[in-house]
Order: sequence, then C-alpha cells, then structure tokens
Amino acid sequence: MTASFTRTRAFRDVVVVIVLVFGVGSVAMLLAHVSPVDGFAALFDGAFGTRGEIAETLVQTTNLLFPALGVALAFRAGLFNIGAEGQLVIGGFAAGWLGAQFPLAGYLAVPMVLLAGVIGGGVWGAIPGVLRARFGANEVISTLMLNVIAVLLTTYLVTGPLQQGNAGASETGPLPKAAQLPDLLSDTRLTWAFVIAIVLAIVLHWVLQRTVFGYELRAAGDAPEAAKRAGIDLGRTALVAMTLSGAIAGLGGATIVAGVLHRFNTGLSPGYGFIAIAVALVGNLEPLWIIVASLGFGILASGAIGMQTEAQVPREVVSLIIGLVIVALAGRRVIATMRST
Amino acid sequence: MNATTAAIAAILGLTLVKATPLIYAALGGVLSERSGVVNIGLEGILIAGAFTSVAVSGATGNPVIGALAGIVAGMLLAAILAFAATRLAVDQIVAGTGINIAALAAAAFGLVLVWHQPGASHEVPALGHTGEIVLIVLAFVAAGALHLVLNRTPWGLRVRACGEDPSAAESAGIDALATRFWAVVIGGAICSLGGVYLSLAELDLYSDGMTAGRGFIALAAVIFGRWTPLGATGAALFFGFFAALQFSLQQAGVPSELLQALPYLAAIVALAGFAGRVRAPAAHGIPYVRPDILAAPGGVRKSSCHSTGRALDKQP
Repeated sequence: MTASFTRTRAFRDVVVVIVLVFGVGSVAMLLAHVSPVDGFAALFDGAFGTRGEIAETLVQTTNLLFPALGVALAFRAGLFNIGAEGQLVIGGFAAGWLGAQFPLAGYLAVPMVLLAGVIGGGVWGAIPGVLRARFGANEVISTLMLNVIAVLLTTYLVTGPLQQGNAGASETGPLPKAAQLPDLLSDTRLTWAFVIAIVLAIVLHWVLQRTVFGYELRAAGDAPEAAKRAGIDLGRTALVAMTLSGAIAGLGGATIVAGVLHRFNTGLSPGYGFIAIAVALVGNLEPLWIIVASLGFGILASGAIGMQTEAQVPREVVSLIIGLVIVALAGRRVIATMRST
Repeated sequence: MNATTAAIAAILGLTLVKATPLIYAALGGVLSERSGVVNIGLEGILIAGAFTSVAVSGATGNPVIGALAGIVAGMLLAAILAFAATRLAVDQIVAGTGINIAALAAAAFGLVLVWHQPGASHEVPALGHTGEIVLIVLAFVAAGALHLVLNRTPWGLRVRACGEDPSAAESAGIDALATRFWAVVIGGAICSLGGVYLSLAELDLYSDGMTAGRGFIALAAVIFGRWTPLGATGAALFFGFFAALQFSLQQAGVPSELLQALPYLAAIVALAGFAGRVRAPAAHGIPYVRPDILAAPGGVRKSSCHSTGRALDKQP
C-alpha cells in the first residue's frame, strides 16, 4: 500500500465521519423535533461554552486517548484487543485500591498509584496474550469475555474481600490528597493526566516508527508470514504487544481514578474502551492522529450533555453516531488476522 | 418430598426461562459463524428484536405483529453486518462492536421518541403465558431444525464449506458471498426471537440494558458448544441452569459475581483447549475477497494478491 493510497483513504474516512456525524445527527434531531442548527449549536456550546466545559471536553479527550493508544498498539501488531474496557477497569481498580489502602509518602503517592494501574491493566492484557501465545486461544473472544469478567471481579472485590468504603457500595475508599493527580486548570476536573496522555502518544509514535521493537511489532501485524521468516518471534511479540496495550489502557483507568473520581467505582467507564476502537480507527492507528481523533470524540462526548439539557436532544444520539462510525470504518484496514487454531 | 419436587420443578422451569433467549441467540451465532462470519453483534440484534417488537406491539395493539416486526428488525441489523462483512470485506469484529453500540443507543433514543421517557417503555400488549411456552418449545425445535439443515441439506453443506474454505467453495460453484450473507441474515432472525422473548413474552415492556450481555453469553455458548447447534443449545441450558440456581447458591454463600462470570470463564477455558480440542471453522472471521475484486482498481488491496484469493484468506 503506497503512502498516497493510504492518505486518500484516510481523507475519505474523515469525510465519512463528518457526513455521519452531521447527517445522522441532523436526522435524529429532526426526529426529536429539534432544528439541527439549534441542536449542533447546543452541542458545540456544551463542549466549548465556558472554561469549565472546555476543561470537561479535554477530560473526555484524555479518557479516550489512553485506551485508544492501547487499542492502536495491539491493532498495529495484528491483534484484535477489544478488551481495553476491561483493562481500563482493572487498572482503575488497582490504582484505587492501592491509593486508598496505603497512605503513601507525598512525592511517591501519585507515581505508585499510576504504576498500580499500569501493572493491573498489563496483567489483564497479558492473560489473553499468554492464552494466545501458549494455547492458541483467539484473543478477540478472550478479551471480549475478560471485559465482563473484569467488571464482575472488581464488583466482587470491592463489595467483598477488599471492601474499604461503605458496605454495599461498588467503590473503593477515597484517595488521600497526596495520591490525587494535580489540577492542570484550577477548579476543573482537568489534571496533568492530559499532559501524560499527549506525551505518551508522542513516545508511542517514536517507538513504532523508530525502534526495532516497533518495527517488529508492525511487521508482525502487516505481514506475519514474512516476519516469521525474518526471525521475529510472533508469540513473544503478541504477548508483549498485548501486555503493553493493556498497560496503557490500565494507566488510563488509573488517571480517571487519581484525577477525576478520586476513588475507584465499578462504573468508572461509560464504555471508553469500546469508543476507543472508533477513536483508534479514525486516527488511522497513528498515535499522533489519534490525539486529534480523541479531541473530536471528546467534543462529541462532552457536548452531548449540553445538547441534551439545552436542546432536549437525547444524548444517546452521540452513542448512535459513534456506533455507526465504527461500522463505517471497520474496513479501514483489512488488518492481517493470524489464524489461531 | 412434595416440597422438594416443587423446588426442583421450579428450578427446571426457571432454567428454561433463562436459557431460551440464550438458545435463540446462540443458534443465530452458530449459523453465522459456521458460514465464516464472526457475529459479535448478537447483543445488538437481541436489543433490536426486543425494542422493535415492543414498539410495534404498542403501536398496533397486536403482539404477534410486534414479534414479527422484531424479527424483521433483527434481520435488518444482521443484514448491515452481513453486507459489511461480505461485500465490503470489513473487519467483522470491529463492525459487530459498532453494531452493538449503535443498537443500544438507537433503542435508548427510541424510548424517548416513542414514549417520551428514558429508561423504559410503557407496558404493551404481550404474548402472554401461551406465547412464552410456544417460544420456549420453538427454541428447541429451532435447534433440531438447524442441526438437520446444517448437516443434512445442500444449503447447510454450502454454509459449512464457506466457513471452512470460501475460495474452494467458490471453485465448486458456490457463491460464497451470497451464502455468507444469507447465513448471517437468517441467523439474525433466529437471534432476534431471543430479544422478542425477553421483552414480549417474559415481560411486556422494553427497558434499557434488559438484554444484559446475553449476546456475549450466547457467544460463549457457541464456543463452549463447539460451533454446533445441539452443543450450543446444551451450553445455553447449562448457563441457564446456573442463572436459575443463582439465588439458591447465593443463599449458600457463593458470590453471585462468580456465578455470573461462569459462562465467560467456561468459554475461555474451552478456547484455550483445557476442555478438549475445540476447533472453530477454518475461515472463521476472515473476510472473503474475490480475486477479481482484488485486481480491480480501487480494490481492497492493489497488489500482491493476483495469484489466488487465498493469499488474503489464509494467514499463517
């Protein structure tokens, strides 16, 4: 595939997304007896109207950027990690539990909490990686199943053996001030997580394009047979890619806990891990473009609330648009699927 | 003694109630997957069936018309997936994920449009107890019928051929794209009956999230049942049995989350081969692209596939 061919397709995809957003959005608004002009005005007002709303848009951008980077890393390696949701939940739980359980020293608290998220998500990503590498279990199904198991497991832990807060509440205890991510913009929910996410995207871009590991990973995804003949260990690459992918999503969960909620709650993600698939595809699986795509979806996600309150358009319209974007872009690349059995 | 018999009967009855929607969804999944199309969108199809049947029953006052409309909605949604998976050769898993998100959102939006309230619909004319029994019996009939169709009819053979090796099937004169398309659409019809059962037989309304991941449990049943109609039905009954036992086992101190996780754990165990060898259809999840499409300008891939279609179909 030549570069210009890829560019043309990427451009066409952006057109498809814009048509879907405004086309489907307008039809849905007309069905709800709202003028699309008012509806979209309310949406953009909800995303950019005030300083607080701009901050909220960037919070949503951050929350989508982490899992989208994780998804993109796995997809580039030819692995369908659709388990970002579960990895994010486990990472968030590990961060929340550690942060609330142990009073960590000031300068260590935030890094330790984030590290817990990285490890939690990494382990949850490594499980399908091992199952794939050792037993040939298809990662699509195992990641899908592990999403549900993650929510059930954390619900069990926080209400059962590892309960910290109120009995019956599906959340951990609150994080002490020292373990909370510092604000980037005072009196908003926007924290340094935003900066960490952007830096991570740049690092990931560099790793994929400029390191031997990145080269091997892309080779395993684009041409597994050739990669194998060139001496790349596909099993090991798959395991490392899945672990890293899960670790990045887990870090995202930890930043939601340490930056936004200040405790772990089993409902911390309204499907970020699934929307992340759309974000990664719209971003052409390129970390730097994924930053732009996250911003686009962040605008939709935070504007949806304004659209609902100001123009009485149900905010599910935005989820509907996102679902259709995923269907439309599923053909983005025929990602090399390695046979598992 | 009488009390024990009654308790056992109650558990078995509840098993049937819990298993029926799973059986329909799993059978839809088996048909689709045996043709080579992974159907992650089962959950979305259940939602489409459940919501549409309630909306149409409410509008017409006739639950049977509602049920039929639910089937049509399930077929339409499956047709979107089938079209994308065959003609556009998109990634089936990603497309299925999108279908699930879109269906859930569309139903939530539909609640506001039709009943002007979020969360749940009003009560509508339902199929009632008779309808429920008919649907339960029909689920088992469908399982037997699908078993015969897949194993004893020419069409069933064609479906399986497309799932194992679509290019070989095409050289034998089978239209692999059309066969896959109809397998997914008919699978959608079967699956949507599970949604109809949930909303219009077990209950008489649609509420947000009422399918509660049954599409994914059905997917687990497909794998645990080794991609066969009877195996998947058995797996659905097994999962239904544990769902029915949930309350009793919870009383005995077994955490409910563990019981809920059982189908998913069982699927992973089966996949990893811990429970004997499990083999998916060979061309499972791999889009079939005809060689002539590949060679055409603007095709899916411009180069490197001129020799055979298999170059794309079969990755090592």
